[in-house]
Amino acid sequence: MPRASIPVAVLTAVVAALMLPPLVSAQAPVQGGGPAPLATGDASARPWKRYSGWPTRDTAHFNTLADQTLSPPAPTQPRKLDGPITGDPAIGAKLVADRTRGGSCLACHIMGQAGNADLPGNVGPDLSEIGNAGLKDEELFNFVYDARVYHAESIMPPWGTNGLFSDAEIGHIVAFLKTLTKPAVFQTEVDDPNKRPAPVETRDNLDELVNPGLWTVEKAQQLWTSNGPSGSSCASCHGRAEERFKNWAAGMPKWEPRLDKVLGVEEFVYRHAKATTGSSWLMQSSENTAMSVYLRFIADGEQIHIDVTSPGAKEAYERGKALAGVKVGQLNFSCLDCHSPERGGLHWIRGQWLGEQRGQYDHFPTWRTSQQDIWDIRKRFQWCNVAVWANELPPDAKQYGDLELYLAEVNAGLKLNVPGIRH
Amino acid sequence: MADKPRLKLPKQAKKGEVIQIKTLVQHPMETGLRKDPNGNLIPRKIINKFTCVFNGKPVFSADLEPAIAANPYLEFTAKVDESGTFKFTWVDDDGTITSTEESITVS
Repeated sequence: MPRASIPVAVLTAVVAALMLPPLVSAQAPVQGGGPAPLATGDASARPWKRYSGWPTRDTAHFNTLADQTLSPPAPTQPRKLDGPITGDPAIGAKLVADRTRGGSCLACHIMGQAGNADLPGNVGPDLSEIGNAGLKDEELFNFVYDARVYHAESIMPPWGTNGLFSDAEIGHIVAFLKTLTKPAVFQTEVDDPNKRPAPVETRDNLDELVNPGLWTVEKAQQLWTSNGPSGSSCASCHGRAEERFKNWAAGMPKWEPRLDKVLGVEEFVYRHAKATTGSSWLMQSSENTAMSVYLRFIADGEQIHIDVTSPGAKEAYERGKALAGVKVGQLNFSCLDCHSPERGGLHWIRGQWLGEQRGQYDHFPTWRTSQQDIWDIRKRFQWCNVAVWANELPPDAKQYGDLELYLAEVNAGLKLNVPGIRH
Repeated sequence: MADKPRLKLPKQAKKGEVIQIKTLVQHPMETGLRKDPNGNLIPRKIINKFTCVFNGKPVFSADLEPAIAANPYLEFTAKVDESGTFKFTWVDDDGTITSTEESITVS
């Protein structure tokens, strides 16, 4: 199909007439000239509604990446108990293995025969002999109620302060802990998290007979040459993406001074398409995801190399780095709690491996076989938040942008390998 | 079935050679046992039959059951003695038939 050549004057008029004026003054987007026109406003659906099928709990009273004033504060003193703990160790044994209660304890601790020693995690110490440790009832109680009274930076969820377990339930758990005096006996070797081999992805993610994520590339190629409401397509200005943008995505995300935030590929696609062809490819729409996969796919093999030093970018990187350490949710976890090897990274929570940050960005967007869907990095951030019982932010939240900039820098030098394929 | 099926097989082969054929079709393969967020059963909808025919003669066929995962991938071998065309067919529960063909030159 011959490439339509659109007179600059027409394109300018169309762009100016369409909607909120694009940020650049009505200057036609020509190849190689000036910063990309970007639509202002929200880049994803408003009001933001959680994805169907995701947990529906609303944890509005606990910290998010946008607001850290919500959670109950850590107690300054351990609680004093009125008398000895009275609890039923049999109930405690069930509670520590209950997956619906935010873990619970077995997610991070080996605990003797609790839960039949079925795939416990190893983020925390092995508690199989805690009954012999000589700890007082009150100490055990306070550890579970809110370990921050003993260790301010504890990774332990504040089970009591944050209303995850009642005092009576903590009593049952303490009673059970006191019965733990022998090492765990595992049914099979993989149940022992200290012997379990870390999972390795061996599937060929770039074989379309293996990775359904690749099929979206064809869709994106069609979108690239389809005219939007303005009568032009991406190809109208940019020609062939494979040539024009063969390493563009490796330089994303990027600080955008006109919008005072970091833009990732997904948000850029929405704002730029809206301001030029008029297409409204909101973040998390199938068109947006297709384009986001495509723009990285054509840059596969390029090393991630982003700007974190120029003004604006430097501050965003520092903010992102700080956000990675902010504890959110009813379970009170930060990114680093799970993904820094100094804390939970490279350990198991139940049967799930916690990867470290370097290696967590180069393959996004990724096909997820357990979801039968492609997830981009913003959806992944949103799930991480929901998984620790925090309310997620909309995908275009500026905090996610800062976080993505930081994460991309941690992954600098790794080669783009998109779309990935993962469980 | 949304997209075209995907195939991988050689374009050429020697007479009598055993070739490998890989096929994949995009399909949710809904088992009929899952529930939606409101607790209602999602109705069964699967591909229940696959056939491969070469120059009109059957080569391989399979009856698929709900245990087969989404986007069924089927890989099999065929012995080719002459040039011709493979025809692949997938049949949905609702009767929809998807088919595609691929030729091979045998010398």
